[in-house]
Amino acid sequence: MSIFAMDWYLIALLMFIGFYCMLASRSIVRQLIGLEIVSKAAMLTVISAGALTANLVMAQALLITMIVIEVVVVAAGLALLVKAFRVNGNADIWKLDGLKG
Amino acid sequence: MDKGLLAYLLIPLLSAVIIPFAARNRPRLADILANVTLLAGLVNIAWMVLRPSVVADGFADIPGDMLFPLLLVGAIYLVALCVTFFSAWFMEEGQPNRAAYYSLILASVSAMTGVVTTTDFFTLYVFIEVLAVTSFALITTDDSRGGIEGALKYFFLTFPASALIIAGISILLIVLGDLQFETLRIFMASDVPPGPAVFAAALIMLGFLIKAGVVPFHAWTPDAYQGAYAPVSAHLAGIVTKISGVYAIVKLGTLLRFFDGRASALSEMVMFLGLLSIAVGALAALRQKDFKRMLAFSSISQVGYIVLAAGLGTPLAVIGAVFHLFNHATFKTVLFLNSASVEKSAGTTDMEKLGGLEHSMPWTSWTSVIALLSTAGVPPLSGFWSKLLIILALWEAGLRGYAGLALLFSIVTLAYFMVMQRKIFFGRKSQAAESAPEVSAPLLAPAVLMSAVIVALGLLFPYFYTYVKMVAERIIL
Repeated sequence: MSIFAMDWYLIALLMFIGFYCMLASRSIVRQLIGLEIVSKAAMLTVISAGALTANLVMAQALLITMIVIEVVVVAAGLALLVKAFRVNGNADIWKLDGLKG
Repeated sequence: MDKGLLAYLLIPLLSAVIIPFAARNRPRLADILANVTLLAGLVNIAWMVLRPSVVADGFADIPGDMLFPLLLVGAIYLVALCVTFFSAWFMEEGQPNRAAYYSLILASVSAMTGVVTTTDFFTLYVFIEVLAVTSFALITTDDSRGGIEGALKYFFLTFPASALIIAGISILLIVLGDLQFETLRIFMASDVPPGPAVFAAALIMLGFLIKAGVVPFHAWTPDAYQGAYAPVSAHLAGIVTKISGVYAIVKLGTLLRFFDGRASALSEMVMFLGLLSIAVGALAALRQKDFKRMLAFSSISQVGYIVLAAGLGTPLAVIGAVFHLFNHATFKTVLFLNSASVEKSAGTTDMEKLGGLEHSMPWTSWTSVIALLSTAGVPPLSGFWSKLLIILALWEAGLRGYAGLALLFSIVTLAYFMVMQRKIFFGRKSQAAESAPEVSAPLLAPAVLMSAVIVALGLLFPYFYTYVKMVAERIIL
């Protein structure tokens, strides 16, 4: 099995773990952790693509930018989680049902 | 990145940085700075595109690929100006933090301009993420329970969408070697089997379908629109989700050359999802009890028309899609701003408690009528022409079933808007409506301006058609 196939096998596994983590847990913090795993798997694809096409310099440049963006998005998301916890008094995703119709 | 349009991105960003410092002790200065920035941008664009000498020689001195971004930048500035002008009078003293609010609006305008002017997938991804972060913060502006819940749902659905877009981008990197839009277009026009590139584009497309709130992924849309701070709903529904999701779908559709059938499976899939969201959005809107939530479902349904046309991808359909994108920005902004006026005046947006507002709020009532008739596609107004183009394009391509259903759900649109209008504005006065005065003139001005745009676009359609046709031709060829 080539290294490339190995990479993508691992990426698919990681992505599955992330989505499973999101599906199986009720706490919004764990959901965020699941999302983080999914997005880390997505980032690994960029490095793998760069290695395959002998274009690692570009892949690294893309990846560093992506990490910076990721930090900002996660910071905003964590702020939302804290706000939600303060307002609702719990971190249960199934209790977020104030809006429906 | 198109350098000619960079100023439209940088100037709002500069204002967004200056506002928190300049307006620390004088909150009113934030209103003025934000409005002046956006107004200056809008006047500049109007001068560039609409001055008589440019129109006379057929936009010849505007470079080929700048017309479509210019149209969209114009729409972005127009909606954002209406929203900031409205919020300047809508906000109560001290609540919420004005400087932060206007900074975020201007940052989102700047990110949207980045999205529409970029020429490669990675920059597109960067600006989409910036836009998403500003949207989370804007939705929770007033710290209400609904706002936080809507923002959380938005967050949990857009984050996986970004992961899908990244995965798509890296597969595209393997197939094409770089991420320029032009490379993909040339690749699709060549004879190489397009399989892997189409797969990569499908992943990216899926991410953008989630961000646009097209039907199987629409769970976040109504909650975010309903929960958000009232003027922010207009900003989100009018322009933000259209740029962050729908624009990219239209762009990808033209890059993949849907019209010559090399990516026909993806094209059919996108068209099916478009029709599905037209149907589900319209049927769900029929049974809503809340004004803003009904508008949100209506927005899903209208996005369906754009996605349907983008999936078809023939020149006529792309003209329709671009035009409907612009029209959607105008009529949905009017409706959401009017819902904010109703909320401010009557204190609720629950349709069961409202009624007979026509007598006390005539301006709000009649601008709503114009906007909803345009949404439903009633002849003299702008919405009619864009829907007509989309349905004609479907008929021409031999998809009679799609054309018929699109027409049918256009009538359903009219039905639920008539129900809404009767419950809120016509009929007998309810208790909440007794003590609901008309809002002040500055709050009405944006809605009246947008209604004027709707009527003008509808009546002057033959002139506008040449412009939109040129835009569509230049982005397809």
